[in-house]
Amino acid sequence: MTSGIVFDIKEFSIHDGPGIRTTVFLKGCPLACQWCHNPEGQSTQPQLIRSPAGERISGRIVTAQELASLLNQQAEILMANEGGITFSGGEPLLQADFVVEVIDLLKDVHICLDTSGFGRVEHFTRLASRSDLVYFDLKLIDPRAHQHYTGCDNELILKNLRMLGNMGKPFVVRVPLVPGITDTDANLEAVANTVQGMVGLLRIDLLPYNPAAGSKYASAGMVFTPEYDETQPVNLNTAVFEQAGIRVSVA
Amino acid sequence: MNQRLKDMKQRVREGAHRQFRQAALYDVLSECELECLSWPRRIARLVRRQCEAEQVVIEPDERIVFTRTVPGVPPVVSDMEWAQITAGRTLHELGPVSNICADWGLLVRQGLLGRKQVALETRRKLADDPESVEFIDCAIETIESVIGLANRYAEAAHRSGRQDIVDILQQVPANPAHSFHEALQSLRLCHAVVWLGGNYHVGLGRFDQYMWPFLSADLQSGQLTLESAEELLAEFFISLNKDSDLYPGVQQGDNGQSLTLGGVTPQGESAVNELTRMVLRVSRDLGMIDPKINLRISPQTDLDLLVLATELTREGLGFPQYSNDDVVISALVSHGYDLEDARDYVVAACWEFIIPGRGMEVVNIGAVSFPAAVDQAIRPGLEAGESLGEIQGRVSENIKEQVNQLAGAYETLLLPPAPYYSLFMHGCLEIGRDLSQGLKYNNLGIHGAGASNAADALAAVKQFIFDEGSLSAGELHSALDANFEGYGSLRHMLVEDGSKVGNNQDLADSMLVRLFDDFANACNEYGRTARNGILRPGTGSAMYYIWLTSGQEGMREPVVGATAEGRRKGEPLAANLSPTLGVKLRGPISLLQSFSKIDYQRIFNGGPITMELSDTVFRNSESIRKTAMLVRIFAQLGCQQLQLNSLNLETLLDAQKHPENHKNLIVRVWGWSGYFCELAPEFQQQIILRHYYQ
Repeated sequence: MTSGIVFDIKEFSIHDGPGIRTTVFLKGCPLACQWCHNPEGQSTQPQLIRSPAGERISGRIVTAQELASLLNQQAEILMANEGGITFSGGEPLLQADFVVEVIDLLKDVHICLDTSGFGRVEHFTRLASRSDLVYFDLKLIDPRAHQHYTGCDNELILKNLRMLGNMGKPFVVRVPLVPGITDTDANLEAVANTVQGMVGLLRIDLLPYNPAAGSKYASAGMVFTPEYDETQPVNLNTAVFEQAGIRVSVA
Repeated sequence: MNQRLKDMKQRVREGAHRQFRQAALYDVLSECELECLSWPRRIARLVRRQCEAEQVVIEPDERIVFTRTVPGVPPVVSDMEWAQITAGRTLHELGPVSNICADWGLLVRQGLLGRKQVALETRRKLADDPESVEFIDCAIETIESVIGLANRYAEAAHRSGRQDIVDILQQVPANPAHSFHEALQSLRLCHAVVWLGGNYHVGLGRFDQYMWPFLSADLQSGQLTLESAEELLAEFFISLNKDSDLYPGVQQGDNGQSLTLGGVTPQGESAVNELTRMVLRVSRDLGMIDPKINLRISPQTDLDLLVLATELTREGLGFPQYSNDDVVISALVSHGYDLEDARDYVVAACWEFIIPGRGMEVVNIGAVSFPAAVDQAIRPGLEAGESLGEIQGRVSENIKEQVNQLAGAYETLLLPPAPYYSLFMHGCLEIGRDLSQGLKYNNLGIHGAGASNAADALAAVKQFIFDEGSLSAGELHSALDANFEGYGSLRHMLVEDGSKVGNNQDLADSMLVRLFDDFANACNEYGRTARNGILRPGTGSAMYYIWLTSGQEGMREPVVGATAEGRRKGEPLAANLSPTLGVKLRGPISLLQSFSKIDYQRIFNGGPITMELSDTVFRNSESIRKTAMLVRIFAQLGCQQLQLNSLNLETLLDAQKHPENHKNLIVRVWGWSGYFCELAPEFQQQIILRHYYQ
C-alpha cells in the first residue's frame, strides 16, 4: 500500500471544478512560484505552522486506502450534485503513484486533476487518463522567465500540455495573472498561440492576482519576496483569447 | 426598490414613527375591577381599549396603514388577583399565549364580519351554556373593536383626502378581501392587534398560500403587475419592522414574526407559486429583519428556487431557514397529526413545526441540558469505576429526570384567555371555546441543547479513558474540577485529538445519536400530559447555549461547569445543531452527514443545523448555485432543518469596536435575526466564536 502526504482536504471547494467537490491538497511541489499563496504546499515534508491561533503540523501521511475510504464516504453526494473529487496541491504529479492508487480505490466519481504540469510525462499521462477533467496551470511561456519566477524550466510542462492536447481529455488552462509578470500582452498572446487548436480545451481561466498571496509565509517559517508590485492592477486582456476564438473567463 | 420604499425603510430604521407613540397607557384595570369583570371579559376589554386608544397616523406616502401609538400593554388584573389566579400554576414565559400561528386565511377570506356570523350562529346554538356565550361575546367585542379602529382610520383618511385608503378600509378587515392590496391591509391591522392585546411571537403562517389567490386574480385581471405587487409587498414587510422595540423577547429582534413558504399543499401538490418567489425577492431587496422567512423544501425542489433563496442568504439576514418536508411531514403524521394538517405545517417563531389555526402547542417549555446530563454521569460514574455502558445508563436516567422535571412543571400550565386570537383558529368560534382551552393539537415541545458538546464529552471519555487508556479517570476529574487550569496539555488533547460531532466520525456521532434516542425515549415514556398532548423532543438551543453555562434567574434547567470535551466553565455551548465551538472541522458535507444520523422521525420538534459561510462564498452566480446545491444536499441526506448564515468575521470584529459604523449589520442569533449592535456582548461573542466555512 502506497502512502502519500496531504496537507489539507477541503470540502465544498467551490473554485476547484464543476459542482460540489472535495479537494485533496497534496504536499510537495517542484515549483516555487514567487506568487504561490499556499507555501505550505511546497515542501514534501510535514512542517510546523505557527500562527496566533496556535501551532499545528501541516502534512499528514496517509495510505491510499485511508484516503480513499474517507473520500468514498461522500462519493454519492458529490456525484448527485454535478461534482466529484479534485486532486490539487502542491503538485499531484509528485505523488503520482499514490494518487493513481487512490483514484483506483474510489467509487465511480468525477475526478479533476489540478496540476502545474511539471512532472514526468509517464506520470502525467497515467494521472490525466484517470481524470475526467484537467485543470492545467500555465504561467509563463518564455522559458527563461519561467525559470526565474518559478525556479523550474517549462519544457516538461509544455510537453505535457501538448500531450494533453492530443489526448482529447477535457481540460481548462488556468493562467494566474501576476502584475507585470504573467499578465503581459506578450505572455498572454504566447499562451493563446500555444493552446490554440488543442482538442479538449474547454476554456482559459484567468485568475487575477490574490493580494493575500504572501499572508501564509511567516507562519510557515518562510519569506515572501515578490519581485513585482503587488498593488499594480492586473492586465485583464481577454481580447487576445477571444480573437483567437478561445473561450475565456475571469475567475 | 424605488425611492418611496427606500424613504419608508429609512424612516422605520431611524424610528421616525416613534414620535407618534403615546407617553402613557390607558388604565383598563380600574374599570375591570369596578365592573367585576371575569378574566375573559377583561381581555376583551383590553383589546377594545387598546384599539380605542390608538391614535390614527397616516403618512402621506403610505398605502398600507397602521402605525402603533400605544407603547405597551396595560394590566387587566391587579397584582393581588394575579397572585391568586396563578397560585400553584405554571406560566409559560411571560404568561400570555405566544408562539402559535393563526390561520390568517380565515381573516382574508371571510373578513371579521364573516367570523362574527360564525360566532353568532354558535351563540344561538349554545345559548344555554354561559361559558360559551361569554367567550362568544368576548370574541364579538374584539371584532367590533378592530372594525371601530379601522373606521377611525377610514374617517381620518377621508378628512385628508386619501380616498384610496378609504376605499380599502371600507372593505377590510370587516369583509372578505377582494384584492391583494386589501388582503395585505386586513392582515396588517389584524396581526398588529394581536400584539396590542399582549400576545406575542405572532407568526404569519403560510403567507404564499392564503395570499396567492388574491395576487393571482389581480395579476390575471391586470389590476396589478409583478412590479406593483412587489411594491405593495415591500411596504407590508417594512410595516412589520416598525414595532420590534415594543415586542417582548430575550434580545431585540427575537419577535417571532416568521412566515413559511413553499412545500406542499394539504393535498400533497407542490405549493410553490409566484408569490413564493416574490417574497424571496422582496425580502432580499429590502434587507430588513422582519418577516423572518422559512422555506419548505424536499430533495426534489427546483434548484432555481434554491438559487433565489441563496441570494437571500447572501444578504446576511440569516434566512431563509429551510425545512425538509420529506422528514417533517412523516414525523408529524407518526405522532398523531392528520396528513392534511401535517402537510400544512409552518415554522413557529424559531424552528418548531406547528399547524396554523389548529395548534395550541407550547413548543418550547424548556431545554434538556445534554452537557449537564453527561457531566453528572461521567463524574460519579468514573469515580465508581463504572463501565462506559453504565455511565451511558446514567446519562439516560439524567435526561429522563430533566424531561420529567420540565414536563412536570407544565402539568399545571395556565394559559390566559385569548378571545381575539381565537377568531383566527379553527374550532373556537364553532364550538364556543377559547383557544387557551385547547385546539386540535395541544402538545408540548422540549428542546435538547448542547448536544454536540455532550456527545464530544462522551466520545472523549470512551476514546481516551476506555479505548486508549491515555487518560485516567482521576486526571480527568481533577482537570474538570480545576477548570483545566494547569491542565493545558490535557485540554489540548481533548480539543485537538478527540472525535468530534460534525466530522462524520462514527465515535462522536454515535454518542450524538444515542443522546437523542435517550431524549426521544424519555419523552415517549412520559406519556400524555394534562393537556392531553404528547412531548415533542427537538434540537434547538435558543439562548440556552449561553444560559446553561452562565445561569439565568428563574431558569429550571441545571447549570454546568467545565466539561470533558475541553470546554471551560462559562464558555458557551454550540448553537442548535452545530459542532462544539473551536473544534477542527472537515467541512460542510461531513457536518451535514454527522447530523443526518439523528432519527428525525422521533426528534421532530425542530431546531436547525446551523452553518456559517463566509460572505466570500457568495461571490458569483456559480458559487451561489453551488451553495444552493449544498442546501439540496441537506435535503438529500434526510436532515430536518437548516440555518445557513453568511457572515464576515472582520466586519463583526469591527462592529464591536465601532458600532456606530455598523448600525444595519444583521446576524442570525438563534431562531431569529437581529441587528448585531443591539445584542448583548455575550451574544455577539458566541457568533464570533462560531466556525465558518470559507
